[in-house]
Amino acid sequence: MKKILAVIMASAVVVGLLSGCGSKEVEKASEEIQKAAEVVEENLEEGKGTFTVGFDQEFPPYGYVGDDGEFTGFDLDLAAEVANRLDLELVLTPIDWDAKDMELNSGAIDCIWSGFTINGREDLYTWSKPYTDNSQVFVVKKASGIEDFDDLAGSIVEVQTDSSAQQALDSEEFAELKATFDDYILVPNYNQAFMDLESGAVDAVAMDIGVARFQIEGKEDTYRILEEPIVSELYGIGFLKGNEELRDKVQEAMDEIVADGTFAAISNKYFGYDVGLSE
Amino acid sequence: MTLELILQQLLAGLGTSLKIFGLTLLFSLPLGLLVSFGRMSKITPLRGLMKVYISILRGTPLMLQLFVVYFGPYYIFGKQITPSYRLTAVIIGFVLNYAAYFAEIFRSGIESMPQGQYEAAEVLGYTKRQTFFKIIFPQVIKRILPPITNETITLVKDTSLAFSIAVAEMFTVAKALAAAQRSMVPFAAAGIFYYVFNFVVAFAMERIEKRLSYYK
Repeated sequence: MKKILAVIMASAVVVGLLSGCGSKEVEKASEEIQKAAEVVEENLEEGKGTFTVGFDQEFPPYGYVGDDGEFTGFDLDLAAEVANRLDLELVLTPIDWDAKDMELNSGAIDCIWSGFTINGREDLYTWSKPYTDNSQVFVVKKASGIEDFDDLAGSIVEVQTDSSAQQALDSEEFAELKATFDDYILVPNYNQAFMDLESGAVDAVAMDIGVARFQIEGKEDTYRILEEPIVSELYGIGFLKGNEELRDKVQEAMDEIVADGTFAAISNKYFGYDVGLSE
Repeated sequence: MTLELILQQLLAGLGTSLKIFGLTLLFSLPLGLLVSFGRMSKITPLRGLMKVYISILRGTPLMLQLFVVYFGPYYIFGKQITPSYRLTAVIIGFVLNYAAYFAEIFRSGIESMPQGQYEAAEVLGYTKRQTFFKIIFPQVIKRILPPITNETITLVKDTSLAFSIAVAEMFTVAKALAAAQRSMVPFAAAGIFYYVFNFVVAFAMERIEKRLSYYK
């Protein structure tokens, strides 16, 4: 009976959270921070702590399943290097992108490291310094003849839900452009968006340039990335708001990785050049 | 990536799907029976409570229920959750959900039994317990097998919802492989796996039905 009551209560709370009632979240925020810090301390004291990275496993080349069947990717290689230097055990957790905040808030993951765009989310997480920049671009079929934003008028545009491309297109700046689209569709992941583009169901997909390059690799004759970017933005590692302790440790390791050339080496492996930011 | 490796990966995912499937059936069938007893109980509050239980579990999406079970301990009670709780949460969520459906199937079976059988059993000196387990229940099982098969097959396909709380079962693996390989092959392979899985389930249930139809 208690279980059932709990389920009923839980449903109510979750519905409340989903509909965005803010006061409880604020109340809980400080508790969350304390707890997260405690967990980190415990782990460090034990000397065999873990570093749990949440990522979108359908986001090549940042995080995906490699040819050997293991998780691989630019971000995951960096995370492995960081964990190595901090003497922590790396735990890679592929997450459902829609549940990423719940995963982070509940402590199920330590950070989101998955081609995670800082812009527009500045206040939602405790961020590392940006480690690479990334633009949002439109990918179209060459045969469509679409060359710039004006040509997109009357076309069907698709975007991944809660992605930075969606955030950019939903901003006021692009309201006018969006109004010219025939339709604007949200899909759960980029692969599906690309399937739609390939099959002709949509005319253009708005996505991160790194992902776009990976997707059209070897198919450059069929697809085109529009030269004009939608927005330029920065990638960072997102930690639970207030978890500066872990952030600082990871940042220190990242600084080392950049300084000693490891970053450039990993970047070369995935992109063929150094995608790092020159400060 | 070779086809062999794709199949190997999918098989590993299938292992997780099978685990969810097996454990859910194992626990939800007995729980469903208990719920159906509650639902038919003469005690009004208990009956009402079971009605509410069935109503909520059937009336909300399984995905949302998984969120509640997994994240609930933290968001409601402030209890830190551990990664190992993921699979447990999936099982709890699935069991609670499927028990609600099974309960109604059990009820339909039990209530379809003619009153005369109870009366005859009473005349013959059977206790209530004996009447149910020796006379009523075996017949109920025979009657409800087809709808149970329906639910079981749905369960096989529903296992793909487990990824909403980051448990990577077969379909998740297929999606990840499709993204990494930019190919439709993993989806096709996953489709075949599901079909074979369900074919086996349907075949097994048919065999059970045949074996139980000993009066024909």
